Amino acid sequence: MTERIAQGLYDPAFERDSCGFGLIANLDDIPSHWVVSTAISALARLTHRGAVAADGKTGDGCGLLLKFPFAFLRAVGEDLGFSLGERFAVGMVFLHQDKERAAAARVLIDAALREIGLDVAGWREVPTDPSVCGEQALQTLPRIEQVFVNAPAGMQRGRFNRRLFLARRRAEKRLGDGDAYIASLSSVTLSYKGMIMPGVLTDFYPDLLDERLESSVCLFHQRFSTNTMPQWRLAQPFRFLAHNGEINTIQGNRNWAVARTKNFVSDKLDDISDLDPIVSLVGSDSSSLDNMLEVLRAGGMDVLQGMRILMPPAWQAIDDLDPDVRAFYEFFDYQLEPWDGPAGIVLTDGRYAACCLDRNGLRPARYVITEDRHITIASEIGVYDYDEKDVVSKGRLGPGEMIAVDLVNGTLLENDDIHEILKMRAPYKKWLKQGVRYLESELVDTHTAAEPMDAETLACYQKMFNLSREELHDVVAVLAQAEQEAVGSMGDDTPMAVLSSQVRSPFDYFRQQFAQVTNPPIDSLRERIVMSLQTNIGRESSLFDVGPEHAQQVVMNSPVLSQKKLRQLLSNEMFGDSNAFIDLNVDTGLSLGEALDQICAQAEAAVRDGKLILMLSDRYLKRDKLPVHALLATGAVHHHLVSIGLRCDANILVETGVARDPHHFACLIGYGATAVYPYLVYQSLHSIAQRGNLDKQQQLGRGYRRGIRKGLFKIMSKMGISSISSYRGAQLFEIVGLHSEVVERCFRGTVSRIQGANLADLLADQKALAVSAWEPREPIKQGGLLKYVHGGEYHCFNPDVVTTLQAAVRSGDYDRYKEYARLVNDRPIATLRDLMRLRAAGPAVPLTEVESVEAIMPRFDSAGMSLGALSPEAHEALAIAMNRIGARSNSGEGGEDPARYRTERVSKIKQVASGRFGVTAEYLVNAEVIQIKMAQGAKPGEGGQLPGHKVNEMIARLRFAKPGVGLISPPPHHDIYSIEDLAQLIFDLKQVNPQALVSVKLVAEPGVGTIAAGVVKAYADLITISGYDGGTGASPLTSVKYAGSPWELGLSETHQVLRGNGLRHKVRLQTDGGLKTGVDVIKAAMLGAESFGFGTAPLIALGCKYLRICHLNNCATGVATQNKVLRSEYFIGLPEMAINFFRFVAEEARQIMAELGVRTLEELIGRVDLLDLQPGVTDRQARLDLSPIVSADGLAKTAPQFCTESRNNPFDKGELAEEMLRAVLPAIESKAGGKFGFEVRNFNRSIGARLSGEIARRYGNHGMKDAPLEISLRGTAGQSFGAWNVSGLNMTLVGDANDYVGKGMAGGRIVIRPPDGACYEARETAIVGNTCLYGATGGTLFAAGTAGERFAVRNSGASVVIEGTGDHCCEYMTDGVVVVLGRTGVNFGAGMTGGFAYVLDLERDFVDRYNHELIDIHRISPESMEAHAHHLRALLTQHVALTGSEWGENILEEYRTFLPKFWLVKPKAAELGTLIETLRRAA
Amino acid sequence: MSRHPLQFLEVPRRDPDKQTPEERVRHFDEIYGQYDGASAAAQAGRCLDCGNPYCEWQCPVHNFIPNWLKLIEDGKMFEAAELSHQTNSLPEICGRICPQDRLCEGACTLNGELGAVSIGNVEKYITDEAIKLGWRPDMSRVVDTGKRVGIVGAGPAGLAAADVLARSGIRPVVYDSYPQIGGLLTYGIPPFKLEKQVVEQRRKILEGMGVKFVLNTTIGRDKPFAELTAEFDAVFLGMGTYTYVRGEFAGEDLPGVHDALPYLVSNVYHTLRYKNPPLPWVNLSGKNVVVLGGGDTGMDCVRTAIRQGATSVTCAYRRDEENMPGSRREVQNSKEEGIRFLFNRQPLEIIGDSNGATGVRVIETRLGSAGTDGRRRPEPVLGTESVLPADAVIIAFGFRPSPPAWFGDSAIETLPSGKVRVASHGAHPFQTTNPKVFAGGDMVRGSDLVVTAVFEGREAAKGIASYLGV
Repeated sequence: MTERIAQGLYDPAFERDSCGFGLIANLDDIPSHWVVSTAISALARLTHRGAVAADGKTGDGCGLLLKFPFAFLRAVGEDLGFSLGERFAVGMVFLHQDKERAAAARVLIDAALREIGLDVAGWREVPTDPSVCGEQALQTLPRIEQVFVNAPAGMQRGRFNRRLFLARRRAEKRLGDGDAYIASLSSVTLSYKGMIMPGVLTDFYPDLLDERLESSVCLFHQRFSTNTMPQWRLAQPFRFLAHNGEINTIQGNRNWAVARTKNFVSDKLDDISDLDPIVSLVGSDSSSLDNMLEVLRAGGMDVLQGMRILMPPAWQAIDDLDPDVRAFYEFFDYQLEPWDGPAGIVLTDGRYAACCLDRNGLRPARYVITEDRHITIASEIGVYDYDEKDVVSKGRLGPGEMIAVDLVNGTLLENDDIHEILKMRAPYKKWLKQGVRYLESELVDTHTAAEPMDAETLACYQKMFNLSREELHDVVAVLAQAEQEAVGSMGDDTPMAVLSSQVRSPFDYFRQQFAQVTNPPIDSLRERIVMSLQTNIGRESSLFDVGPEHAQQVVMNSPVLSQKKLRQLLSNEMFGDSNAFIDLNVDTGLSLGEALDQICAQAEAAVRDGKLILMLSDRYLKRDKLPVHALLATGAVHHHLVSIGLRCDANILVETGVARDPHHFACLIGYGATAVYPYLVYQSLHSIAQRGNLDKQQQLGRGYRRGIRKGLFKIMSKMGISSISSYRGAQLFEIVGLHSEVVERCFRGTVSRIQGANLADLLADQKALAVSAWEPREPIKQGGLLKYVHGGEYHCFNPDVVTTLQAAVRSGDYDRYKEYARLVNDRPIATLRDLMRLRAAGPAVPLTEVESVEAIMPRFDSAGMSLGALSPEAHEALAIAMNRIGARSNSGEGGEDPARYRTERVSKIKQVASGRFGVTAEYLVNAEVIQIKMAQGAKPGEGGQLPGHKVNEMIARLRFAKPGVGLISPPPHHDIYSIEDLAQLIFDLKQVNPQALVSVKLVAEPGVGTIAAGVVKAYADLITISGYDGGTGASPLTSVKYAGSPWELGLSETHQVLRGNGLRHKVRLQTDGGLKTGVDVIKAAMLGAESFGFGTAPLIALGCKYLRICHLNNCATGVATQNKVLRSEYFIGLPEMAINFFRFVAEEARQIMAELGVRTLEELIGRVDLLDLQPGVTDRQARLDLSPIVSADGLAKTAPQFCTESRNNPFDKGELAEEMLRAVLPAIESKAGGKFGFEVRNFNRSIGARLSGEIARRYGNHGMKDAPLEISLRGTAGQSFGAWNVSGLNMTLVGDANDYVGKGMAGGRIVIRPPDGACYEARETAIVGNTCLYGATGGTLFAAGTAGERFAVRNSGASVVIEGTGDHCCEYMTDGVVVVLGRTGVNFGAGMTGGFAYVLDLERDFVDRYNHELIDIHRISPESMEAHAHHLRALLTQHVALTGSEWGENILEEYRTFLPKFWLVKPKAAELGTLIETLRRAA
Repeated sequence: MSRHPLQFLEVPRRDPDKQTPEERVRHFDEIYGQYDGASAAAQAGRCLDCGNPYCEWQCPVHNFIPNWLKLIEDGKMFEAAELSHQTNSLPEICGRICPQDRLCEGACTLNGELGAVSIGNVEKYITDEAIKLGWRPDMSRVVDTGKRVGIVGAGPAGLAAADVLARSGIRPVVYDSYPQIGGLLTYGIPPFKLEKQVVEQRRKILEGMGVKFVLNTTIGRDKPFAELTAEFDAVFLGMGTYTYVRGEFAGEDLPGVHDALPYLVSNVYHTLRYKNPPLPWVNLSGKNVVVLGGGDTGMDCVRTAIRQGATSVTCAYRRDEENMPGSRREVQNSKEEGIRFLFNRQPLEIIGDSNGATGVRVIETRLGSAGTDGRRRPEPVLGTESVLPADAVIIAFGFRPSPPAWFGDSAIETLPSGKVRVASHGAHPFQTTNPKVFAGGDMVRGSDLVVTAVFEGREAAKGIASYLGV
C-alpha cells in the first residue's frame, strides 16, 4: 500500500496510533495461566478503544507481552526435540510468507546469533489459525516462528540478554526492511501479537489457550491506527513496553539520538556501531521509544531510571518536589531531552512491571489490586469482573507519575518510592551545586542596545534583513510594549512565499505543525505549570558513566538572549576561550551552496578545535559581502555536525537580524540553535524609543523577550510540547515551497512535498535586498504582508475584490459578479490552485443540460462562525440565506438561541468546539449535522478567547456565563487527547442524536489524510479539511501567518489516502479556506471535495469590508461586533445578498461545467486528470512540482470518488443503551417517570445519553424535570457515563465509572457510590475518571470517591460533591458549584472565570496548589458568610443521603470543626456578595 | 493599539471651521481654518486602521494615510511630514485641492453616515504645521550624482519630478513660461482654494533642496528644445493641457463669452496685483453669469465670479448632480455661496449680438445608456428648450493636449488624441519615443487631477533615475 500511493501526498511517517493498554501482574512473581487468560479477556473489553478495518475483521493490531513463560517454552521446545540449556531465550519472529525468503532470513538470524557466541537450539513454527484474520490482515500475514537460543554455560542472565540484543540489532541491520521482523528475542519476555481483533487472539494463537502457558506478568495492548495500512510488525507491545499516546517530539528525539551516539558508550556494550542508529528512524514513535529504553537498559541503566529520565514529570514547576529528586531530574535533563507527548506506558523487563504517564497526564491509567495479590492497570477500570469485595485498593496514576511492581522483592513501588530509589544513586544535588552556573537576568536591562547604530546604518540593516515599517510597528513594537504578540483578525489572504513575486523571508516557507486529533495541544497559558524554556550550555558526555563533570553547565531561563546575557555567557570562564565567531557575511561571488560549505567547514574546524560555542553571526555587514540567512546557516551547521557526530560537543548561538517574531525563533531553535540574540530588534527598538514613539523605554528589551517567550510557549504547545529542549532540533514544520536541494542541505527530514525555491532563488532574494540596503535614498519598505499596500504583496481580499463583490450582490446583477469573478480567477498567482488550469472532460454540453443552481447549492455550507464573533443580525442573515437555498449554516461555537430552533433562522450545523459553550442535549438534537471542530484554519492548535466586552447579556445566556466576563476556549478538546477519544465523542454524539450526521473539521497539514482515515474509522460521517487561509475573529498574527497548509494539499492528501484505504465511500468530504468563485468550487471538486465551505466571502456579501478589526468589537459594518449602535444602524446585510452570492457561484460553476462537458458536479469529484499544471510566472513557481497533488497513481480506477453510504454507523451498537431505551421509552412518552435497574460494564459507553436525547427531543433540556426517571445501575460504567444528561434523568451507579462522567450535562442527577462492604477507603479511591462534567451547564453529581484530572473543566452550571480530585480541577469553569471534600491536585481553578468551589484543605497546602491568576480563596467564617456555611451543609447532607458517604457523614457530624478548614474559592472578578445570588439560583 | 476603538462613533467628523458664505465671498482668501493639535489628533484617531486601507488604495499616489494619521494622533508631526512626503511631493497642496470626497475620503470605510475621516484636512495640517515648526526634507544623505535633468513646466508634474530627482542626487532645472512656479496651481486655481504663498513656500523648499527654476522662459520660443537635450542628461516634459474644449455651438465667439482658463488666470493676475498682466482682467462684477460645465474648473469659475461681485451666477450642467465630475465639496461650497445650479441642461447656442451675449439656450436632458467611458450619456428631451438670460458666459468644458510644434523635430511622438506616447517600447516608465525625453501629467494622460500629475511626475523621475543608472 505504501508503495502504491507513494506518488501522492501520503507518507507512512504520518501514521499515528493510540489505543487501550494495560497489564496484569502478580506481585509475588508467581506465574499462572490465569494472568494470561485474564489479560486476554481484559484486552477484549477494550475493543472499543481500537479500530476495525473496512473488512470488519482486521484490527489495527493487538498483542501481549509476557514475562518469559519458562515452563511452557521448555515443554514445547523439548517436544520438538530441542536441546535446551539451563538458560535459554526465545525469539518471536515474523518471517516472509515466501518459503525461500523465510529460510534465508532464518539463516541470517542464526548467523548473527552464532557470531556473537550464542547457540540456536531450533526453530518452532508457532501454531496459528489464519481463518480468523480479515482480508487485509491476510494480505500481509507473516509466517510466525519462534527461535530457541541457548545461553552458553555460565553466562549470566544480564550478559545473555545483552548478547541477544546485539545479535538482534545486527540481524535487523542485515535483514533490512521487509523480510523478517523480530518481535521479541529475550530470556525474560515473549510477545504474541498480530493484526487481529482481541476477541480472536486465542483462536489465532492456540498457544495462548494452553494451560501450561503461565506467566506472572502480562502486558496487553489494543491499537487504533489512524489509517488502515497497518502492518503486523506495528502491533504492540514492543520488546519492553506498550504505549498509548504519541511522542510529539519524536523527530527531535531521533535526531538527537543520532547526534549523541557516542554518549551511549558503555563498557557493557561491546560495539557501539552495532547500535547505529541508536533508535529506529522509521516506524512508530513508540517503537523508537522502546529502542531507546532498550539501549539505556543495555548500557546498564534499570528501567525505572531509564523511563523516568526519558519521560520526566514537570519537575521544574512542582514547587514542593523533594530537592534531591529535582536534582536527579535536572542532572539528567542536561544529558538527554525528554520524550514528550501524551503517554500511558506499561512496561516490563522481567525485573519490574511498571506503568507511567506523561507529565500532563493526558492518558488515563487506573489500577486495582485484589486480595490474591494481583495488580491490574489499564486505560479503564473494570476490565475484568473481579468481585468488589476482593478489592484491596483502587487508584489512578496522576500526571508524570510512575508505579512499579518489584517482582523480585514482591513489593509495590509507588511514585515516591521510585523517587527515593533514584535520588539516592548519586549526589546529584552536590554535583549540580558545584557545576551549574546560572545566568542572572537583571530586573531591568537598560541596555536594549549599548552601541546604537546611526539612523543610516540602522536603515541599511533593516533593508538588508527585509524589516518593513509594518513589521516594525505592528509586530516588533507590539511585542515589546504589550509583552505579547499582536492580535489580529480575519485570515491570511496573501500568497505562500513560493508563489509570491515579492522578496519574502525564508521563514515564510515554514508552516508550524500542530496537534489535532491524535494528540492534544497544551494550554500554555492556563497550564503554564508544565512548560519550560530552560536552556543549558555545556558539554555532554557518556550517559552511563555519570559524574560531577556532567553538571558543568551554564543555565539560562530562556533561549532568547539579551545583550547582557550574551556578554555574561561569552565572558564565562567555561567559554571565554572556547567560542568561535563564524561570520555569516560571505563574499558576494560565492554561490549559496559554497557559502554554506564554507560556514560548515568553519564550524567543524572550530568544534574539532574544542570550541564549545559556535557564534553564527550576521552582525557585521560589509558592502562586498552578502549575509547568508541565519536559518539556512543554522540548519546546515546543525545537520553537518550531527552527521559527523560532533553536534553534542558544541552549542550553536545565533546573532542575527532576521529573528523578529516568535516564529523566527521557533524555526531557528527547531533547526538546532541553542540560543538566539536578535540584535536588530534591539537596535530598532532603541531607535523607536529614541524618537519617543514608545513609552517605558527602559523595559522594551525585556518586554520584547517576554513576548517572544510567550510566543514560543504557544508554538511549542500547539504541538503538545512542553519543554524547549524537546523542541530544539525537532523540526516540527512543514516546508511549503523549497526545493529539495535546500531541504536536503539545511532541513533534512522535514516534510516538504512540492519543491520550489532553490538556493539560487534565495540568493537572488538576498542580492535584491542588498541593492536597496546600500542605497541610502531608498526608505525602508512600508510592508504589506499584513495589510494591503499598493505595490506590496497581493491580497486575495483586496479592495477591488471586496468592492466588486459587494456591488454584485447588492445589485443582483450577474454581469457585475462576472467582473468580480474575473478579478479573482485571473489574479496574479496567489494559491496553488492558480497553477492548475481546467481541462475539458469532453465536448461542451448545452447549459440547459447542466444540473441546476438549486441542485448545486445544497453542497454549500457556511463555515462555523460563532455568535460571539458575529453580530446576531449577521449570524441570522447568513442562517436564513443558507436555509433558503437548501444549504446549511454553521452555528459556530457558542450555542444557539432556542428561539431559533425549528425556524428559518436555525443553523442546521451545530458546532461542538473545545469550549463546549451552549452544548446541551437540546442543542444537539436540533442539529442535522454536528460538527466537532478539531482545529481552526486561522489558528490551528490554539484555543480562543471571547473578551469580556463582547460577552453581553445574550451571549452570556447562550453560553451559560455571566455578562462582561471573558470566556476561554481551550486549545484542546479536553475529552480528545487521541484518536480513540475522538471515536468516543462521536459515539456520545450519535447516542444523543442518532439521526444527526457527525462531522469533524480538520486543518490541512502533512498527515491530515492519515488522520482523516482514523476519523472515518472513528465513525464520522463528514470531514472538513480547512486551509490555512481561513478566517478568525481574533488570533495572534503569527498564528494566522505561519500555521496550517493550503487546502489543496490537505484535501488531495485526504482524498488519496481515503481512496487508498477503501474508506472514501464512507464519508463526505468538504473543504474550506478562501473559496470565492465557481472556479474554486470546480477545482476543489476535482481535488476530491463533494461539499464546500464558505466563510469570509458570504460575510463580505453581507457588508463586511475585511477591516481586520473583528477582535476590537468596533466593526464599522456591524458584522463582527456586539455594539448595539453599530449593529442596529450600520449593518446593512440582507439574506438576499448572501443568497445572490451563492447563486452566482453556483451559476458560474454551471457555466464552467457546460464548457468542460459535464452535467453534474458529481462527475467532477476527484477528477485530478482534468487539472493541467501550469509553470507559473517566476522561476520558483516554475520549480514547483505539484504532481503529487494531482496524482492518482496506484489507486484503483474503481475506487469510489465520493461518499455513497448514507451514514457511518459505529461498530458498537450500544446494545445496553438500546435495551434501556426500550424499557424506559413509554415512561418518557407518557412523561410518567419511573424506576428502572440495569447492570453495566466498562464497554457499555455513554450510558444515559440515548435517553437524554429522546427526552430532549420531546421536552427540551428541562421539560421532564417533574417526572423523573430513577435509574439504578450496578457495575463499572464505561466512558461518558451520563453524558448530555437532562432534567428528569436521575442515575445512581453502585460501582465506579470511567472518564467523562456527566460530560455536557444540562440537568438531572448522577450519583456514584462504592458497593456496600467494599474494604478500601472510599474517600481515597478513584471512583470516576478524567475530565468529568466537561462543559456541563446544569444538574448535580454526587460521587463518594475521588476523581481524575480536570474535574469540572469548563463547568458552567453543574453542582457537584466529590471527595478528592486530580490536577487542573475547575479549569475554565464559568459557573456552577464544586465541593471537594479532600485533596486536589495542582493548578486548581486555572482560567476559572465564574462559579465557585468549596475545598476542604486538611493538609493546609491548598494555597500552593491553586492557580493564582484569576481566583482568590477565603475562609468561611460563620459570622460573615452564614449563607455559604448553610449552603455547604445542605450540599453535604444531600451527598451523604444519596451516596452514604462515611467521610461526608464524618464531616457533617463535626461540621463546626471542619468548616474553618474549608476554602471558598471564587473568581477574583466576582464579589463575595454576588455569590449569594448564585446560591439562590442554585437552590 | 492605544487607540480608542470606538472613537469614530463617539467623536463626529469635524472639518476645521469654514468662514460663513457671507464673509468669504467678499475676498479671495482661503475659506478654511486649521486644526489645532488636539482636534487634529482627535480626528486622526477616528481612523479604523482597516485591514484594507481603502483610502490608500483609492489615492492616486497611494499615500500611507492610516500610518500618518496614527503619527498625528501620537503628535509626531515631523515623522508624519516625512512619511507624507515619501509618496507625495506636494501634500499640503493636495490636502487643499484634491477632491477627497471622490478619492480617499470617498473610499473611507466610515464614509456615509459615520463620516469619513477628514484625511485632506489632516494632510494639509501635517505639512503646514511641520514647515512652520522648521521641518525641511532631510537631504543630508543625498549624494550628488553629477547628473542633470531639464524639466519643462513647473506645474504639479514638473515639481514632483524635480522633488524626486533632487532626492536622488540628480540636479533638476525647471523651465516655465510663467513668472512664478506652479502652473495651474498658481494661475488656474483660485486663491480661495489655494493661497499663493503655499506655492511660494513650496518653491523655497524645493530651492532649498537644490532645484533650480528658470522662469519667464518658454521652451521653443525663448530657448530651443534642442538646447535642452544637448545640455541635460535627460529631459522631463510636464507641460499640461491647454487647448480648451469647445462646445461647438453657435455664439461661442460672442463678446461676453469667456473661456474658463483665461478668465481664471486673469483674475489671479489681478488678485496678485501683477503690474503688466499678460492677460486683461475679466471682471464680471454686476453681471448675470452663466457657467457651462460641471467640473472643478467650472466650480472655480462660478466662485470667482461671485467674489467679483456678479449679480447672479448660474451653473448649467448636462447631467444630474450625482454624475457631476467636480468635487461634491466644491459644489456644496458653491451652493452656500449663492450659486444656482441647473442640472440636466445642455447648451444649444449662446444668444446675443455684437454687444455681447444675452443668454444661453438650453434643452433639458435625461440620462441614457452608458457610453464608452462608462458614464451615462445625457439625451435631450424634445420640447424642453428654454433660454437662460446672461450678460456673461463662461465655458468650462475641459482641456485637450496642446503638443508644441517642436515635438516633431525631437522625435517625440503623440497619439491621435494629441497625448504624448510614453513607455511604448517598454524601456522605462514615462519615457517618450525620444529616449532622452520623459513626459508625464496631463500631456500624457489628458486633463486630470493635480494629484495624478504629481504621481506621474514622481514615477517619471524614477524612470529617469533608472534610465540614468542612478
